[in-house]
Amino acid sequence: MLVNSLSEPGAWPVETCFNAHATKLKVEVECVCPRANSNTSDWKPSWSGQRTMDLGDFEADNSVSCRLASAIPEVCRSEDCCLGIDEAGRGPVLGPMVYGISFCPISRKDDLKNMKVADSKTLSEVERETLFQKLDEAKSFVGWALQILSPNTISTSMLQRAKYNLNALSHDAAIGLVQYTLDCGVQLKEVFVDTVGPAEKYQEKLSKRFPGVEVTVRPKADSLFPIVSAASICAKVARDHVVKSWGFVEDLGEVDTDYGSGYPNDPKTKSWLQKSLDPVFGYPQFVRFSWSTAKTLLDTRAVPVRWDDDEEDGEKAAARMHCSSMLSYFSREKPGGSVRETHRFFSERRLQSLDSL
Amino acid sequence: MSSNGSVTLLQLGSVVQADKPQVHLLPCEIEQDGPAEVSRYFTSAVKDRKHEMSVSFRGRGLKGQEVSCPQAYTGLVLKEDHKPTTDQEDRTVRVSSVFHHFTYWNLETQPTSDDAVVMAMAWPELAEAIHGSVDDR
Repeated sequence: MLVNSLSEPGAWPVETCFNAHATKLKVEVECVCPRANSNTSDWKPSWSGQRTMDLGDFEADNSVSCRLASAIPEVCRSEDCCLGIDEAGRGPVLGPMVYGISFCPISRKDDLKNMKVADSKTLSEVERETLFQKLDEAKSFVGWALQILSPNTISTSMLQRAKYNLNALSHDAAIGLVQYTLDCGVQLKEVFVDTVGPAEKYQEKLSKRFPGVEVTVRPKADSLFPIVSAASICAKVARDHVVKSWGFVEDLGEVDTDYGSGYPNDPKTKSWLQKSLDPVFGYPQFVRFSWSTAKTLLDTRAVPVRWDDDEEDGEKAAARMHCSSMLSYFSREKPGGSVRETHRFFSERRLQSLDSL
Repeated sequence: MSSNGSVTLLQLGSVVQADKPQVHLLPCEIEQDGPAEVSRYFTSAVKDRKHEMSVSFRGRGLKGQEVSCPQAYTGLVLKEDHKPTTDQEDRTVRVSSVFHHFTYWNLETQPTSDDAVVMAMAWPELAEAIHGSVDDR
């Protein structure tokens, strides 16, 4: 019923071409919430295992980008520190991408090593939980922070007029987190970054951005440097929690939560995407619309939607905009009478006189 | 009266039964003419922070604002239950919904008073000033 008014060209031309200016959507930091104690009472033990990480601030609004952080260990403000950066959930079509950092005094690197932190991908979920708890217990010298990029942030950024790609998005998240620790007074001397992209360029970018800090960008850094392993554990634990207990902002009623890991090749994720498609709206915000997996399904099974900044061939676009391309000159019929052009007042307001519905 | 001579009849009586839904004007064309799960997927996801409304549709960010219909005007959604088979036939439409305000959405940009749809609302008043009878004043 409502879509009549949404889409039917009635009194208002719905083919609106609001020539909005391209504005780069910044990843909004909606909440900075250093936790003095992470043993807050409002965590929900809704799934197996204890929940040490409080994700309440993200869960309160999971459509934006959110920063969560531990308290800054006092010693990190006086001693030279190292910091590791890693991400979790870059590939999945479902749920957020989480950027994690952890930091500690350079003099305490061995203590961290002795905690047996390792690349989060080599650990079981339970092991990751246990290690995160250990990190939490070591809060006198280990700090961490997360930037949770919601799937909606990822979709709307990657699909915005001035495209904001995933690499830029992740680099900005990482830079934001490093800047955050500097702003908090952490004496940063070394930064270790795990990357999937070209390491050298990224290292150059970060070194320039943070003079005075020695930056090492390395593929597989999460298995080489314990401080990066710690960051990867924080990020992965957060991503797992968020995905497991995703709070759909939509009013979906009984929702099928058997969506698997969220990776496009996970059979559960695949079949969930098949089942959950709505012909008009596509998917809830839990899905990254900018992923080719989702795009393909929408292109084939949902109703077509056209935006004024869609790329289409020149002639078709021109026809839609009621102006003609040069080519159409040859196929055009000679106009019979002279059509009076409407005044700018009306064209600017997209007002037309109608003589039939 | 359309150019080919057929007449379009508006069933005014149907106004009484018309529903009063929330109406949204989106900055895109949706190739769908029929029901849609608007409250399930759309209105439930609208965020209203400090009077700045935002939502996303198909992964694209929208920013919206409520607009009222010009004073003394009512918005109508018309429905044609039986489409005529030839363009000579008369057509009958009924009022399926009425609205006095609606929400329009811009793609990514904050709504302003310079947006076409907001400016368009001023036309009836201007038209009255231009075309209205002088005695009225």
